[in-house]
Amino acid sequence: MNKTIEIKNLIKRYDSNFQLGELSLDIPSGEIIGLIGENGAGKTTLIKSILGILQVNKGEIKIFGNDTIKNAAKIKEDIGVVLDNTFFPEILNAKDIDSIMKSIYQSWDSKLYYDYLKNFDIPVDSIIKKLSKGMRKKLEIATALAHHPKLLVLDEPTSGLDPVVRNEVLDIFLKFIEDDEHTILFSTHITSDLEHIADEIIFIDDGKVLLNKSRDDILDNYGILKCNLDEFAKIDKSDYIAYKKNKYSYDILVSDRNKVSKKYKNMVVDKITLEDLMVLMIKGDKTC
Amino acid sequence: MLGLIKKDLLMIKGNMRQVMLFLIVFLILALQENNIIVIVPVFVSMMVFITTFSYDEYNKWDAYAITLPISRKDIVKSKYITSVILWLIALLVTVVIVGIMGIFEQNIDYFEMFGMILGCALSIVLLEAVMFPLIFKFGVEKGRIGLFVGVFAIAALLGFVFTGIDLENTNGFIELFNKYYYVLIPLVAIILLVISYFVSKRIYLKKEF
Repeated sequence: MNKTIEIKNLIKRYDSNFQLGELSLDIPSGEIIGLIGENGAGKTTLIKSILGILQVNKGEIKIFGNDTIKNAAKIKEDIGVVLDNTFFPEILNAKDIDSIMKSIYQSWDSKLYYDYLKNFDIPVDSIIKKLSKGMRKKLEIATALAHHPKLLVLDEPTSGLDPVVRNEVLDIFLKFIEDDEHTILFSTHITSDLEHIADEIIFIDDGKVLLNKSRDDILDNYGILKCNLDEFAKIDKSDYIAYKKNKYSYDILVSDRNKVSKKYKNMVVDKITLEDLMVLMIKGDKTC
Repeated sequence: MLGLIKKDLLMIKGNMRQVMLFLIVFLILALQENNIIVIVPVFVSMMVFITTFSYDEYNKWDAYAITLPISRKDIVKSKYITSVILWLIALLVTVVIVGIMGIFEQNIDYFEMFGMILGCALSIVLLEAVMFPLIFKFGVEKGRIGLFVGVFAIAALLGFVFTGIDLENTNGFIELFNKYYYVLIPLVAIILLVISYFVSKRIYLKKEF
């Protein structure tokens, strides 16, 4: 399996007590990788470290097999980026962006760019400031795609978008990933988006990787067991990962739904959503 | 890097109406005094250029720029080049304005005017050379405050130094300056900007967004 991004022993410290890492991660090629975690968990810090916007305290990051510090310009030619609240100054319009990017990316494809704008119904002459939030996001996505990148790095690309636009945007990403060499790293706290499109889920909490598994593995095997206090006492601690005590019941997170439902036949084990998983793992009490 | 220069110029083009308004208002204000008019275009060019930093900051452009295939060094360099381009355009505008003034007024001392234009242009370069590293370090708002403090400090220092110097003995220097100012002034301007660029680059290479 080819790796698009390799992160080794990364540490990024802030003056405030937050620290990302130490973490090591491999992002495989040809997949959509979803990065989830609560606000302040370190998703944006990780993305900004990968892109060189932040300077890491320790560690090594490689993209397409090249060191991100030594070969920055060469690597960035093949990356498309959509960041949260970070884009061209708002007094420019879509046409200006084309004229600027032509001189920045060797592989900038004006025709492709204008095709996207047309498909997205983005007016080429209005300044960014006058575009709606959805339009603006779509312009950012068109800009990120128009130089034929191999890797898309997206930080909250769907936040603030209505469901219709969000689905439109997700479809674009699915189309992009049809090429085996293409990879998407996608951070979001709208976890339902990832249930639709992600191949792999990386769950970050407090600067650490809590979980790094394929989406199918999580959705097929993990489960939520709901039970009352008496039943809870009967369950082996080794059978679950975390639990949350509600007013009259317990929500218990299990990593092997089938095994647990066989063992405790009179209890119900439900399928899990990424949102439940996130809440239970962050807010629940852990067994280990 | 060409792309970045284009970006700043397009931003200024997008703001052209305000630029013209600025220019006209200041020209009218300066009309009473013929000589002071020559500083207006370069001054306006600086003000306008500073707004590109404000927009960059407001839309967090720098973080985005770093994700493009451009080095941090070139991001800084492009700002300096753009400022020089604007400065040259402003000088051209000044020459045109002086030319127009010449139609209406017969007794203009063009030689003196030329010296004035160079002097004003240099003072703007000096301001910019001090201000850009401050902006790269602290951002536009704080950079401006830093500039005021800096200008007062420099003025005070120079005043202090010059009162200490016996002017009788500096006649040679003044004579030399009078003779070669058209070489000396651009030379000083270039040296200042180059030093300023290296300071800004150092700051920017370590910066996080």
